This record gives sequence, C-alpha cells and structure tokens, in this order.
Amino acid sequence: MTPLLKVAGLGKRFGGFVALDGVDLEVAEGERLGLIGPNGSGKSTLVNCLCGTLAHETGAVTFEGRLLNGLPTHARTRLGLARTFQLPRPFAGLSVADNLEVPLLYALNRRRRLTAAETSERCEELLRLVGLVDCARKYPRDLTQVDMRKLELARAMAAEPKLLIADEAMAGLSHSEVAEIVSLLIKLNERGATVILIEHIMHAVMQFSQRLVVLVSGRKIADGRPEEVVRDAEVERAYFGQ
Amino acid sequence: MRPAAFFAAAIGVAALAFAVASLIGNDYVFFAGYTVVQFIVLATAWNILGGYCGYVNFGTAAFFALGAYTTVFFHKAYPLPIPLLLVFAAGVSGLIGLGAGYLTLRLRGAFFSIATLALAVVLQTFVVNWDYVGGSRGAYVIRPDSIDVLGFQIGYVRYLCLIMLALAAVAVAIARTIERAKLGYGFAAIRDDELAAEASGVPTLNLKLIAATLSGALMGMAGAPFPYYTGYVEPASTFGLAYAVNAIAMPMIGGTNVWFGPVIGALLIGTLMQIATVTISSAVNLLLVGALLVGFVILAPNGVVGLIQAFLRVASPSRLEPRSIGLVALATFAFIAGVLEIVFGLAALTAPDPTGLTIAIGGLALAALWILSAYGLMTLQRWSPLIATFAFALSIPVGALHIWLDRSPTNIALWGGAIAIAIAAVLFLQRRDVRRFYQGFPAKEARA
Repeated sequence: MTPLLKVAGLGKRFGGFVALDGVDLEVAEGERLGLIGPNGSGKSTLVNCLCGTLAHETGAVTFEGRLLNGLPTHARTRLGLARTFQLPRPFAGLSVADNLEVPLLYALNRRRRLTAAETSERCEELLRLVGLVDCARKYPRDLTQVDMRKLELARAMAAEPKLLIADEAMAGLSHSEVAEIVSLLIKLNERGATVILIEHIMHAVMQFSQRLVVLVSGRKIADGRPEEVVRDAEVERAYFGQ
Repeated sequence: MRPAAFFAAAIGVAALAFAVASLIGNDYVFFAGYTVVQFIVLATAWNILGGYCGYVNFGTAAFFALGAYTTVFFHKAYPLPIPLLLVFAAGVSGLIGLGAGYLTLRLRGAFFSIATLALAVVLQTFVVNWDYVGGSRGAYVIRPDSIDVLGFQIGYVRYLCLIMLALAAVAVAIARTIERAKLGYGFAAIRDDELAAEASGVPTLNLKLIAATLSGALMGMAGAPFPYYTGYVEPASTFGLAYAVNAIAMPMIGGTNVWFGPVIGALLIGTLMQIATVTISSAVNLLLVGALLVGFVILAPNGVVGLIQAFLRVASPSRLEPRSIGLVALATFAFIAGVLEIVFGLAALTAPDPTGLTIAIGGLALAALWILSAYGLMTLQRWSPLIATFAFALSIPVGALHIWLDRSPTNIALWGGAIAIAIAAVLFLQRRDVRRFYQGFPAKEARA
C-alpha cells in the first residue's frame, strides 16, 4: 500500500543554516504520528515545507501518490492536507462560526458542492465536536486560550483533511486542558483523519502517538514505537539531555 | 434582502435623491451633489480592496485619472455617449488594476501602499508626456448644454449627476453582494491573516487580484464622466493627492467593514467639503479631512459604524431598545452639529473684525462641546450625559438668537426645529434610566 504522505530527502536551508537535512518520512493512512525534537530542530520548518508555506530546496513531498512540489498552500489544503498553527491565528474580524465558514466554503466546497444549509449544518457539527457551540457568535478575542486552540483545530478540520498536522496545539495549556486536547485529537483520528502531532509535552505525545519521530538539527534520528524511541541512546543524549 | 432586491432598492434611493434635487430646482444642487456621489463611488471602490482585504491603496487618483483620460482620448478620437465611456473606462482601469495587482499584491502592508503611490506617479508621467490627450497643458472637453434622455430634455449637469447616481447604486450593490457572498469570507480572511487564509484553502493571490480589478474598474468608472463635468482636465489635478486621501479617509471615518461605512463617510465628508467650499474656500477641504481622519484614527479607529456597533453591543446586546436608538440619534445629531460648527467657526475666523473672532471662538468652543458629547455618549463615559445636556441646553438660546437675527420663514423653521430637538434631548437625558445607564457601565468596557 502506498503511504498517505511520503517525504523523501527533504532539504531546506536559510542562507548558511541548514534547517532540514535530507529528511525521509512516511505516514500511513489512519496513523497517529508524534514528532518531537528540541527547539530549532526543524519541526516547524518541516511543517511549513509540507504545507507549502515555505518552498523546500531538495527532495520530494508526495501526498496520496501525488507530487506536491511547488503547489501553493491553498491547493494542498484542498487536496486534504490541513494544519494548525503553533500560535493560534484566528480570523479576528470574523465570529467563531464564520471562522469555520472560510475553510468550509473554500476547501470542502471544492471537493463536493455544499448548499448553504449543509454548510451551516457542518459548521454546527464541528462546533459541537470541539465543544464551542456556545461560542459560535463570539469573536476570537473573547475566547480563552484553550478555546482558541479548539477553534484552531476545528478550522483545520472543517476542510475535512485526510492528514491533519497539529503544530504544538497544546503549548501553554494546563494539565487538564492538555488532556482535553489529546482526547479531541484522538477523536478526530477515530473519525478518519491521519494526525501528525508536534509537541513538547511528553506525556501528551506518549499518550497520543502510535509512532514517534525525533528530529534533531534538521535530521531524523529516530523513528519507531514511542516506548522504544524514548529509550534510544541517541535520542536521550540529544533530546532529554544526560 | 437578495442582491437583486437590494440593487432595486439602491436604484430607488438614487432616483429619490434625484427627484428631491429636481424639486429644489437649482442646478448648483446637482453640481455639488455630483461630487458627493462621485465620492460614494470612489470610497466604496477603495473599500473593496482597502477595507475588505486590508490592502491600503494610495493610487485612487491614478485609476480615477485613467477613467477621465479614457474619456478625453475618445472625445478626441471618436466621441461616444457616456454610458459607453463608462464601460471602456472600467475596462482600462480594471486591466491596469489587474496588472498592477499582479506585480504588487505579493507585497504586504506598507510596501504595497508605496507601490500604488509609485503607480500613480508613473501613470501621471505617462499622461504628461502624451500630447494627444493634452499633455501637461491639459485638454478641453466642451459639454453640450442639455441632452435628450428617454424623450426628456435635461440639463447636462443633471444628466451627469444621474449617471453618477446610477453608478453609485451599482457600486454599493456590488460591495454589499461581495460582503455576504463567499468572496466576502475570503476577503475577510485575507484581511485578518493571510497565512491562515491560505491554510484554510483560500487562493489569496487570486482573490486579491479580483478585488484589485473590481476596485480599479469602479474607480475608473467614477472618473469617466469627470472631463464633461469640469470641461477641462489636466494631469496635476486629475492625479491629485486629494482623491487618494479622500478615498482613504471616507471609508476610515465611516467604517471599513460594511458597505454603508464608505457611504456614510462619503456623504459626511463630501457634504462637509461642499459646505466648506462655499463658506470658506476649497483650499481648506484637505485640512478638514485630515483633521477629521486624525481624530477618528485616535478616538474611533473603526469609524462611525464601528463606534455605534460597539455601543450597541454593550448597550443592547440582545435586541434594539428604544433607549439605545435614542442615544445613537442624539450622538449623531451632536456629531453633525459639532462638525458643522467647526466649519462655520472657521468661516467666521476669516472675517477680519472682532465680531467675527468672537463668533469663531464661540462656535469652535460649542463644536468641541458637541463632539465631546457625541464621543462620550457612544463610549459610555460617566460624564457624557452632563456634557451633552449642557451642549443641548446651550443650543436653545443660540437658536433663539439666530431666529432673532433673521426672521425669514426658512430660518425660523430650521432653528425652531433645532430648538425643539434640543429641548427633547435635554428632557431625554434627564430620564432616570438614561442617567443610571451611564453610571452602571465602566467606560473601558464599551471601548473594547
């Protein structure tokens, strides 16, 4: 079976700084993948290259057997590759419900025609899924940090992605809020989305991931079952410190 | 309302405005009205790219002048009726909008604005050196005295005004349709966060190009009848900074998020400029607009509409209460009175005698009081009912003085009405629920 996402020899440099150095990665359909690495290891650069925000220099990104190289971000989203941002980036001038309306109209609507009624129904459904029904008419500035993260996730999910990349969806949240987001992500995964979780909070990553990938200085140094990866000597040295 | 119904309503309002102006029967009304309506079109056009997408365009004058010079060109080459000229102007400016947009819309923020400014300079240089359309000497376009419209012989200025009214209806209908359509969501997403918009599947560059093309085309259309209106066009004034500044100031003062924001701004500023032109001089216009723009950016960055919306969100969150409507009406009255008072105060200042100076100082003080009342009432300041009561109470003897000075029927009706409103306002502001309303809300809540 061909993997959902296939990254081969991905390379990206900023001037003299090598951010990604020949990264290979395969993600199977329905998988829950955790991606960890110290600050500056290239995690976000990898996400940006996968989503088309940055153009990579070497290698290839293949999604469902289709080469994505050079495709703009919105086209990738329409193909089914959605992301959340490390710091929530809601549309501040739109209400919570209207925030979801944007991907519904521009991404999902491209794949199958939606009537106005279906759109608002989908919107309602998403709000219920993440638990923001009561906030539908509120504006993002009135949301709490955790609700903002949920909005970010709901907006990414509105495009009905086959692959969801959650870039530090839990940074700065309390213990119980982290648990809430993890269970939400697992729920999304059970509904059929393949999820890549990028996270620093180890217990969340361990709880969530079926497979763990470790990135250090733009290179992949480990890839495997989470319990084994965290015991790996190289990972321990690079990531957890001696 | 459906877009078609709205368009019909807009045409209706335009027709009504024309009918009312015809009843007054003075050609000057049309001459002044044309400029005001032209600014409705320009402000609405600017707002499609500037307000909805958040791309501040300093090149309004360039697109306006493109429309005007399209007319000049055809006037020399092959005279066409104005409705056809509108189509050509839309085509030329729309294409330039598309092309310039393709080159500049990848730039963000200030860089885009600088690029549009450069576009105006490039186009002006081009026109200055194009002898066929008059070069820097300018070109005369002699307009006929009257024209036959559907069997009616009407004055040419009236005809131009009619065309501009129709164009305004079209522009406003387009803006409103965009706002509620898919395009509106896309534009708003671009304005708020372009990266997130892309990630949500919005093809940002395409959408921005659509906005730039539409905006440019409408600006060009606004400029097309201009040579017939003035009879003479030359590059320096047609490409003048005034168009660019006004097209930015009007939506900013009215409010950039909804279609009626630019309309309110254009009506307010456009009318004010006409009054200032008559009472003081046209040179003071830009000063007035600039001062108002600075005031709004500091005190009410979301414009008139934003200020009232914020007030209503706090004052009557669930449904519109008569009390809130009353307060909005009072604040509107106070604001308009204040702005007019500024103009009349400045006009009196130009009189060289001590009486003029006294009137000017009194007028400007009253203006400050009015504007303070309007601002305070809308931002729920504790002190505002007191100040507003004072302002309205003070206007009663002022009105009486005006009636005493000039006892013509129109003047009595005008100031009598103002006195009646003032008395009603004072009584309304003394009501217990209004008083308590302003004691109950901390001011900062309303401003958020």
